[in-house]
Amino acid sequence: MSTGDAITRHVVTFGRVLREVGLEVGPGRVSDALRGLDAVELTRQEDVYFTLRQTLVSRHDELDLFDRAFLAWFLRAPVLPPVRLHQHEQPVARVVDVPVDRPRDGEGGATDGEPLELGASGHELLREKDFAEMTPDEFRRLRRLIQTIALTRPRRASRRRAPDPRGDLLDMRRLLRRSLRTGGDVVDRTYRARKVVPRKLVVLCDVSGSMDSYARALLLFLHAVVGSGPGVEAFAFGTRLSRLTPDLATRDPEAAIDRCTEAVVDWGAGTRIGASLKQFNDVYGRRALSRGAVVVVVSDGWEREDPDLVGREMAKIARAAYAVVWVNPLKGNPEYQPLAGGMCAALPFVDRFVAGHNLRSLEELAAVLAGIERRHAA
Amino acid sequence: MSFRTIDELEAALRGADYLPDRGLSTALFLSLALEKPLLLEGEAGVGKTEAAKSLASALGARLIRLQCYEGLDVAHAVYEWNYPRQLLHIRAAQEGTVSEAELFGPEFLIRRPLLEAIDTDDPVVLLIDEIDRADEEFEAFLLEVLSDFQITIPELGTIRARRRPAVVLTSNRTRELHDALKRRALFHWIDHPSIEREVAIVKLRVPGVHERLAAQAAAFVRELRALDLAKPPGVAETIDWAMALNALGRQEIDADVVEQTLGSVLKYREDIEQVRDETLSALVDSARTASAR
Repeated sequence: MSTGDAITRHVVTFGRVLREVGLEVGPGRVSDALRGLDAVELTRQEDVYFTLRQTLVSRHDELDLFDRAFLAWFLRAPVLPPVRLHQHEQPVARVVDVPVDRPRDGEGGATDGEPLELGASGHELLREKDFAEMTPDEFRRLRRLIQTIALTRPRRASRRRAPDPRGDLLDMRRLLRRSLRTGGDVVDRTYRARKVVPRKLVVLCDVSGSMDSYARALLLFLHAVVGSGPGVEAFAFGTRLSRLTPDLATRDPEAAIDRCTEAVVDWGAGTRIGASLKQFNDVYGRRALSRGAVVVVVSDGWEREDPDLVGREMAKIARAAYAVVWVNPLKGNPEYQPLAGGMCAALPFVDRFVAGHNLRSLEELAAVLAGIERRHAA
Repeated sequence: MSFRTIDELEAALRGADYLPDRGLSTALFLSLALEKPLLLEGEAGVGKTEAAKSLASALGARLIRLQCYEGLDVAHAVYEWNYPRQLLHIRAAQEGTVSEAELFGPEFLIRRPLLEAIDTDDPVVLLIDEIDRADEEFEAFLLEVLSDFQITIPELGTIRARRRPAVVLTSNRTRELHDALKRRALFHWIDHPSIEREVAIVKLRVPGVHERLAAQAAAFVRELRALDLAKPPGVAETIDWAMALNALGRQEIDADVVEQTLGSVLKYREDIEQVRDETLSALVDSARTASAR
């Protein structure tokens, strides 16, 4: 066997190792890696490393996995087996949900679904019922309703334009072509207008112990929001922050929630709101994820540690965001006063403060999101 | 100009006053060798844009830069018709003598960066800067251009690249890019430079800088990066700062001069205050010790 063949086999197998730890390594990438190795000196380990890395990896967060695999495979270093990035197996329990999803396949499934079977009065009752008091069965019926609500998204005018007779900018290309016939005189005017596109939406959801009874309902809501189109980012936090967007991006809400509970390790543990918001600002805020976005924080405001940190980090979020909404399920109680330390510290930076303890209050939230205006500096 | 080895390219980049690390040289070399676009990511200020500029000057090629922003469209990235001139032309001509083909001919075309990079015989480095700021629709369009290296103008037909431009894309990761675009490109993550390389960069970019000042400035900036700042300083800030200190006739740093010039390293008020309040003299001491080693 020639050296070339040996290298090819080596790289192809290495590609398989990377796929096994969760990297997306298709045949195109492997062929790039081989072409790359052809062009560089194989005697220099550094060059081989970078050539493989630059052709086989396309995301910053995969570099660590790659490094470990490279060490293990090419240098035969004793390292821990790399962890899996994504779990592709579906939980068996998902099968149970199939009948519930079926109406979606038919025409008009969204309105023929089980919410109507409730009848008007059942429907109304469900809307008012506190999430914390719902039975699992009621919970399932809630799903479709929540999906409809989540479709309402804040919007903004895109910079891109499309032909529109009520537009505000002349469509010069069309206009000129038409005016050829009239020797340069403009007879009928054609316009272009800005398209309206969904505004970026960032949802940060508290899933700590004190929020436990609401977390599942809010996750359903988050799932539906992520499914409503591009530009939605969802996070959960308790003692620290986890990004949920990839886990919520499946069509089956129950499976999505299962994946989330796996992803969020500290589900139902204590709350460090300030530290979690700080983590958001440091990692995602710096990447301008929240710039121009509507940021929704869902939490009861019970901070275990330093309430001042909550205030400082909320100030940062408010500076970057288009508007900030705080959803607090406790606000559903008419007796409620925002006395929790974290809540007090956060409120000065919040544009809209809403409840979120039942379906009706989620509808209100959706209405708030749809009509939200830019926060005005005091 | 072409390079047979990574070392050759590295030498040419040095000649263009750019000191790449081995990883970046390899990435640029592969991008040329495999004729694939190179996607550069990294914290702000690590020299992503600078890398493309230096590649152009190492290649003796023209740099064509497309700065991306939200709402960037074909009219600003590829081409636009010069409507005022067209209108004047119709007016000036005798009625009925102007044909559509004449009106939408090359002399009325305003060429924007992408068209410019494709429709040329010169060697070109095309820098598509901060692609993550453009809308996703534009990204999809760009993907098409980068696959075929051709652009279709309905009135003129399809223009094909006679030689493929070298393409460098940069992203600050304000959002994830499309998988399809990533698949099309090589990927390199640029880290902050090692302390030795940063000192070398400062000495190269700030003529006449004192050896000790360069070492202390680089060490101090490194200390700053380890703090929890809203915007950690990049290499560009180190260079700016060393220039300022050098202009003040300094040969080393002390707490006073750092306090006076902190504004050229840190760009946020909170960051400046944080450093001032707690740690400034400790940082200066530790930077002086680190650079003396």
